[in-house]
Amino acid sequence: MISDRMAEILRRLQTKEWPDVAADTAELLAVDGIAVSAGNAPGGTEILWSSDSLSRDFEDLQLTLGYGPGRDCLADGIAVRVPDLGRVHEGRWPALLIEASALNVRAVFCFPLHIGAITLGALTLVRRTPGHLTPLQGDDANVLAVALTKRVLDLGSPLRSAAENQDLVAPVLHQAVLHQATGMVSVQLSVTLTEALLRLRAYAYGHSRTLTDTARDVVDRRLRLEPDPHPTNVTEDEDED
Amino acid sequence: MATREQQLTEVFVEVADSLIDDFDVIDFLQKLSVHCMELLDVAAVGILLADENDNLHVLAASDEHTRLLELFALQHDQGPCVDCYHDGLPRINVSLTDPTATARWPQFARSAQDTGFVSTNALPLRLRGRVIGALSLFRAGPAPLAEQDLALAQALADVATIAILQQRTLALSEAERDQLQYALNSRIVIEQVKGILAERWQMPIDEAFGIFRAYARAHNRKLSDLARAIADGTQGTDTIRAFPSRATETDS
Repeated sequence: MISDRMAEILRRLQTKEWPDVAADTAELLAVDGIAVSAGNAPGGTEILWSSDSLSRDFEDLQLTLGYGPGRDCLADGIAVRVPDLGRVHEGRWPALLIEASALNVRAVFCFPLHIGAITLGALTLVRRTPGHLTPLQGDDANVLAVALTKRVLDLGSPLRSAAENQDLVAPVLHQAVLHQATGMVSVQLSVTLTEALLRLRAYAYGHSRTLTDTARDVVDRRLRLEPDPHPTNVTEDEDED
Repeated sequence: MATREQQLTEVFVEVADSLIDDFDVIDFLQKLSVHCMELLDVAAVGILLADENDNLHVLAASDEHTRLLELFALQHDQGPCVDCYHDGLPRINVSLTDPTATARWPQFARSAQDTGFVSTNALPLRLRGRVIGALSLFRAGPAPLAEQDLALAQALADVATIAILQQRTLALSEAERDQLQYALNSRIVIEQVKGILAERWQMPIDEAFGIFRAYARAHNRKLSDLARAIADGTQGTDTIRAFPSRATETDS
């Protein structure tokens, strides 16, 4: 169950550019800041999207320290909700707790952006006052995390506008065959699962086929993707109307 | 042949043992599905969980054959499980050949029949007045489920719900939605790893998964943890491949 306002935010998120909905989202979720960071490897992490300096500062803090609720959320593959940083055991994130207090951040909520073992980043909400998210805010945040996952994946392969891009929405996202094919392609091409998923999508678009059909051909071993260091330039086949 | 009471006792003990331990939710639900199939004398069992958009997805099934998984997957937007999920009421002894069913859910009814099923049942996964998913039962014969079996089926559905929400008690988040999302994502990890293994070992997906699961169980590894370790490359797969799977596969 999600709110009407979150449904509207998700619609706006489908535009080509990163839309300016971070502030609206923060207001809807009753938090003071919202940020999206991509990547989970040390040094390979960057802030993609943030509503204000508070959330940026908190993300910077986590990136600098190399630990924190965002990292834990990615490592465990489950959201980390910290409704009151003042009540967290000091050994958990020692320096972070002190610095967060200096930033006046009292509550943090991190949601993983992932597709199975593919970890793309995290959505982080920060608040200056302690307290839980309401169940509706929590559901909204989870739905937003799913939408942002697709959004961040698109950054790796901007094949066409996200508005037309219906390939990775549910139920496709939960089709076993898609993920089985991703695993197979990653072995065939010796690439990461992320790259394998992008290659599958690129192939599907380039051949005007659905992602599901392409995945099924891979799993049934009727199709084997060939190594190609430049998997872009397939948009030229597309019908622009 | 164990009596029904013996079977029930064994299942109860196993379920209780698992739930107090740090168990793997996918593996637990898979075993529960098998128990369900045996106790209720049905042909196939699937446990479906709703995502954030109220679409149902298969989390575990009594057997992992891709064909069966796909039949369960069809129920993301059609079939009695969808109705059951929306109003929380069980759908019992739904004939798959009945014109009402074939007209209402053409693709689902046809696929179920093609797989050899005659009737289906859907029971809600209930949680404090909400419904988070459905237990899907298929029968290959025309005999209806008995009244007492229905109570048992609902109890097994409730156990599934408890397991899904019990999975990560150590995690900071105890929010139900986070737990559901975690369970759904764990399923995706398993599917990705099936693909990795099938390609690396050059064998059918189902066979690769059988070896993987037998290895995990024999070594007391959680399916999801082992799958994640394979996906991120920290766990090699040669020793798993060499594991003799047959011995533990016949655990019925």
